[in-house]
Amino acid sequence: MEKTSELVIGLPHALLYHRYAKLWHGFFSGLGIRTVDSGPTSRKVLEDGASLAVDEACLSLKVFLGHVSELVGSCDYILVPRISNFGRHRNMCVRFEALYDLTRNVFRESGQKFLAYNIDVLEGQGEEAAFLELGCGLGYSKKGVKKAYASAKKGEQELWKAAVRKNEALYRTDGLKILVAAHSYVIKDSYIGKPVTDGLKKLGVTPIRADVVNREAAVKRSTELSPTCKWELNREIVGSIAAHADAVDGIILLSAFPCGPDAMVNDLLARKIKGIPLLNLVLDSQTGTAGIETRLESFVDIIRLKKGMLT
Amino acid sequence: MINTRKIAFPRYAEYNCAMKYLAEQGLNVSYILQPALTRRTEELGAKYSPDFVCTPFKTCLGSMIEALEAGADTLIMSHGLCRLGYYGELQEQILRDLGYEFEFINLAEYSGSKKGWLKALKRISPKVNPAKLAVNFGETVKMVEHLDEVTAEYYEDCGFDETPGAHKRAYRKFLSALYTAGSRGDVETAYRQVKAEFQQIPLKKPRRPLRVGIVGEFYTAMDAFSNLEVEQKLADMGVEVHRWMNVTHQFFQRNAFKNLQVKVKDLCTYEMGPTSTANIWYARECAERGFDGLIHIKSANCTPEIDIMPVLQRISGEYKIPTLYLTYDSQTSDVGLMTRLEAFYDMIQRKRRTVS
Repeated sequence: MEKTSELVIGLPHALLYHRYAKLWHGFFSGLGIRTVDSGPTSRKVLEDGASLAVDEACLSLKVFLGHVSELVGSCDYILVPRISNFGRHRNMCVRFEALYDLTRNVFRESGQKFLAYNIDVLEGQGEEAAFLELGCGLGYSKKGVKKAYASAKKGEQELWKAAVRKNEALYRTDGLKILVAAHSYVIKDSYIGKPVTDGLKKLGVTPIRADVVNREAAVKRSTELSPTCKWELNREIVGSIAAHADAVDGIILLSAFPCGPDAMVNDLLARKIKGIPLLNLVLDSQTGTAGIETRLESFVDIIRLKKGMLT
Repeated sequence: MINTRKIAFPRYAEYNCAMKYLAEQGLNVSYILQPALTRRTEELGAKYSPDFVCTPFKTCLGSMIEALEAGADTLIMSHGLCRLGYYGELQEQILRDLGYEFEFINLAEYSGSKKGWLKALKRISPKVNPAKLAVNFGETVKMVEHLDEVTAEYYEDCGFDETPGAHKRAYRKFLSALYTAGSRGDVETAYRQVKAEFQQIPLKKPRRPLRVGIVGEFYTAMDAFSNLEVEQKLADMGVEVHRWMNVTHQFFQRNAFKNLQVKVKDLCTYEMGPTSTANIWYARECAERGFDGLIHIKSANCTPEIDIMPVLQRISGEYKIPTLYLTYDSQTSDVGLMTRLEAFYDMIQRKRRTVS
């Protein structure tokens, strides 16, 4: 730890938080910076976000803006990364390219300060360089920032490896297994995706997350199903489906309305994946979970019927 | 050996004349020009497309079907930086599932390097002569530059004809000449002619006409069918219509384009999307030049254009420039659009009178 600072950084508990929480927490605590977290999504967070966003924006962005709004005024900076790509054909949805400036402009009158780090490998800036720029920009020494990043990255990778191992073991369990293919910020969100995984468990099914996977291997395999898919997060999921479709009894393509990449990739997957029950489930900002439960029930019934488990 | 391939590309504003020229002159293949976009095109496309994909996907899919109906055996689809980059793969799959037979050349498979582009060209036309193609490509670029220049001039002046329709007649004649051009000479003649004709048309234009700037999504803002001829409608009300966005500015003046980011640093630190920087820059440019209004055009579900709206709202507020946000989907009606445009026109006109 370099020095203890007075600085407080807010982490909106949405979008890439679900991918990078460990890295962010590790990095800032390594620098001795305190962080605050906006906590799980609630109805109020979603409603606040929806009132701030352009109507047509996706549910995930609305949730994100709601979380930012929770944090406004309670910290010195709010972290909003700008990630364009990790290389050729390894892009993020353009929304992540715009996210920092979008957020800054939405909250322009609040006086709140925002903090970005910029990953754009095609323009020559990878993750480490991005964190270095971020840390040095806050006034920390290059050496200290490098160390904080290295140790945070190590922690992240260890945690991820363990999570992948645990997830892979699920494919070998008995009973009905359904692969749930969704962005981490959809499936892990307590208000959006959790009712789906909870619902499946209630029906006696083991839900398995497609996005918890060896990412590099999955990105490579994604071309089997979709040769020109260029969105990193979708490629991880598509590759995971290619690797695991045989080990599960059904697949749910879960997306938040109206996710741009999912709208196209999931349509393609539905056309290409044959011989296994598949449900394309799009979540909107509805209240109550009865609608979702009905659809899950009928999907699970179809699987059971197909397997002769239902008479 | 004569190449018997019959290629087609989805209809896109008036740029198909350039694709036709490049295909016929540079690649020595036949180019199939399918019918112009109509309601039928849009309905065909929408019927087979995923619901919440952006509207140009649907229009292009419909136009591909119409190209196949017109006898094309090879479809070419562009790559792109937003979802456009994924159009090709999904459109091919949809068409195959429908049972159509064709060869599909998806430039997204080749993008990223000069070698890739050359491979794609070799596939379209194996005996391509690179030296000749380079010359023809230069001619095609010139053609597009002429087209964009004339189109810009057209929308600035066509609303002020003393004899209504004079500009339109000259412009239409110019377009037909481009669609049938077989040499550089044809293109240059047509260009000189339309420029001379435009100059001779008597105008009744006030000293300070109402001026409106158009920004927005690359397909819908530029394609008159897709935006329900919003530029013509505005011009017909007696407005000078300005649009910076076109193929010339976006692709052929890359360096100038790259440096736009510097001018909007205070509004957006990073590039927010493929056309975002240009749109944000031009919106402010119009505001600073004292334009009377801005119109932001996009198709439903266009992610990058949705994302710059907070920035445009800020420009609109800071410069007090009225801004109309138009979202087009396959259901947008002519009447609804007209009502909104009339209200917008009344507002900017009243604002002009009150302020001056």
